[in-house]
Amino acid sequence: MSTTAERPFTLSVPDCDIDLLHKKLDLTRFPEDLENAGWDYGAPLSDVQKLVEHWRTKFDWRKAEVEINKLPMFTRDIDVESHGTLNIHYVHQKSKVQNAIPLLFVHGWPGNFLEVRKILPLLTQNSADHPSFHVVALSLPGFGFSEAPKKAAFAGRQYAEVLNKLMLSLGYEEYVYQGGDWGHVLGAHAVTHYGNKHIKAWHTNMPLCRPPTLFSHPLVFLRMLTIPFDKAAKANLEQALTWNKTGSGYSALQSTKPQTLGYSLADTPVGLLAWIYEKLVSWTDEYPWTDNEVIEWISIYWFSRAGPAAAGRIYYEMAGGGKHDAFEGTKWTSVPMGVSYFPREPVHLPKSWVHTLGKVVFESEHDKGGHFAAFETPEKLVGDLRRMYGNGGPAHGVVPGKAGYD
Amino acid sequence: MATNAEVPFKLSVPDSDIDLLHKKLDLTRFPDELENAAWNYGAPLSDIQRLFEHWKTKFDWRRAEAEINKLPMFTRDIEVEGHGTLNIHYVHQKSEVQHAIPLLFVHGWPGDFLEVRKILPFLTKKSTDYPSFHVVALSLPGFGFSEAPKKPGFAGRQYAEVFNKLMLSLGYEEYVYQGGDWGHLLGLHAVTHYGHQHIKAWHTNMAVCRRPAFLSHPLVFLSMLTIPFNKSVKADLEHSMVWRRSGQGYFAIQSTKPQTLGYGLADSPVGLLAWIYEKLVSWTDAYPWTDDEGKPDFARSQSTMLTRSSVIEWISVYWFSRAGPAASTRIYYEMTGGGKHDTFEGTKWTSVPVGVSYFPKELVRLPKSWSYTLGNLVFESEHDKGGHFAAFETPEKLAGDLRRMYGMGGPAHGVISGKPGYDEA
Repeated sequence: MSTTAERPFTLSVPDCDIDLLHKKLDLTRFPEDLENAGWDYGAPLSDVQKLVEHWRTKFDWRKAEVEINKLPMFTRDIDVESHGTLNIHYVHQKSKVQNAIPLLFVHGWPGNFLEVRKILPLLTQNSADHPSFHVVALSLPGFGFSEAPKKAAFAGRQYAEVLNKLMLSLGYEEYVYQGGDWGHVLGAHAVTHYGNKHIKAWHTNMPLCRPPTLFSHPLVFLRMLTIPFDKAAKANLEQALTWNKTGSGYSALQSTKPQTLGYSLADTPVGLLAWIYEKLVSWTDEYPWTDNEVIEWISIYWFSRAGPAAAGRIYYEMAGGGKHDAFEGTKWTSVPMGVSYFPREPVHLPKSWVHTLGKVVFESEHDKGGHFAAFETPEKLVGDLRRMYGNGGPAHGVVPGKAGYD
Repeated sequence: MATNAEVPFKLSVPDSDIDLLHKKLDLTRFPDELENAAWNYGAPLSDIQRLFEHWKTKFDWRRAEAEINKLPMFTRDIEVEGHGTLNIHYVHQKSEVQHAIPLLFVHGWPGDFLEVRKILPFLTKKSTDYPSFHVVALSLPGFGFSEAPKKPGFAGRQYAEVFNKLMLSLGYEEYVYQGGDWGHLLGLHAVTHYGHQHIKAWHTNMAVCRRPAFLSHPLVFLSMLTIPFNKSVKADLEHSMVWRRSGQGYFAIQSTKPQTLGYGLADSPVGLLAWIYEKLVSWTDAYPWTDDEGKPDFARSQSTMLTRSSVIEWISVYWFSRAGPAASTRIYYEMTGGGKHDTFEGTKWTSVPVGVSYFPKELVRLPKSWSYTLGNLVFESEHDKGGHFAAFETPEKLAGDLRRMYGMGGPAHGVISGKPGYDEA
């Protein structure tokens, strides 16, 4: 029987791992690129070369590590039915407000637990003007410093089980949920299994879903038919179809042959860098990435507990190896739901479709920001959560006794 | 102005390149793997580690190089409109038969010019029983030892131009064409631009095409509707769905973000190895049997294709390629407009005689009636063994098909006047 005791976690990458990384960086062999390719073919050579140079000669991992270790981090074993025990890494920051709302923050790919870093002080802040949260942000199994699943078929139900057991183990019988990217998709699975009973409300900054059908969501479906798409919705759909053709290759590959891809990601720092950096730029709203920010982000993957190849497997498992979509097994629930729309999120579906996911009680549209909302525009995301859960807000008091104010 | 002179080519990878490769191999970091993953998630860890060990400790590149250099190889500059000059590498083996049929052999991805190696002696052999060929097998631009295009937009028309100019420069005003994979797709483009005038007939071992539409190919279309798919067509389509559902990831990424993918392929030998090896196994009919302990037994594999050395040699041609391994994937981008259209864009049906060989482990098998949309279908041959890399896996079968197609009494006999493949007795 595994121990469920919480243990403080201090990140300390072995010297030999850092040495190996640098030995590899020093031997980097670059591909060529085409004249005036820009971003058309992927991450441009000049960008990547500059970043490798920075990684090689300037980036100080130990300094970054010290900063990361200022976060209150822990690990604990979580039992998952049929999958044994996984040791899960997480940040857990309590607010000074005793009745703060317990909130679970879930990252995606190519994200990581550090996406919580900027919103943490804002969410846990004590104020009469807005609610406060106790925040838990885990490394998903196979990401960051959590163990990876060892067996096949670790999918929606299993992730939901990890998420829920983690919150329960921290004494949070009832809590709210926030996520984008896989955080959003896993949110749909989490509320399917634990909605209302444990998850009292949830918020997403990437409201993707299946299209409504006549039988699944007749009202939304009919709305689609009888009210002609407005210009904006039409433009969004066209752009979504284009993205599907030209921007989803990484997903097609990771959901079918993640192991084949994984050999590169595990073995070459520049290969991993380019694979992730391309998304850091194309999925954000001209976020002014510093070289240090990029390299630190990539380093979390490079030094991750299970290695960089493990993370991509989520695409495979959630899609059954390319056989179905990631929403397989989710159901509409009456759990109150909030949505934030950011303009540079890669895919925008018609807003009416989000009602197929849950009981939408809060919507907020922004004119700036992209996929990594917590990282790019932390105040906007936190502002939305404060309005959703604050006094007078549509999800105020969803967790009885923990309204966010003392 | 480019020189048109042919220059003999000897492969000689610099020592420093071999050193770098070995330094990298020594630092290899492997990923983890799920229990009992087998081939479900991609190339299995145990296969890759075994191949890696062989590469690190046993494989002798200089020896492989010496063997490769026994082939008659050359380079020459070819000008391509709008793209300047590309230096193209090719094998050119003439037959003893003076009136042999000039044949251009075109490889694909992750193939290379060495796919011609086994059929070369068959095709150039002199006999009264079957025709003989003068064979030209190039490294496609961006592959092997040819230069890569430098500018965007190098697509069907440009590849066709390279092929045609190469053959013309060798004195072959009229020639026939053979290809699979990109060799097949580029064949459609080549006959669109140079069919009849220069390409008198062609043969493919990967008969893929657009679905026939009522307006474009009414008879084939109607045959689809009125004749219920028979069992074997249904089996073919099911086989094709496997590729479509779970085997297309490489196509999706290479046709949209080849540069992003390319950094890993250029920098990690094991990354490149896995990327290609996965296809060498899943697209062939030659997976090695296991030995008594359940380990892959390369010695007993059904063809010589998947010995450890042959795999590493295959990967090495990519690793040591002139333009680097990343360049080869750009063909997917250029030929699909960055993922926006299919690879048949710009091709037309022509009445150039075409022959088709069907191999059971080809990645996609379409209804055979659709082959009529490829051209003037004059020859078909079905095999019970073999896969995607026909010239390499089953050279006698492929050569046999070409001999029957072009030989005396064959449907494409004498397509090139004065070069029927036989000398006067």
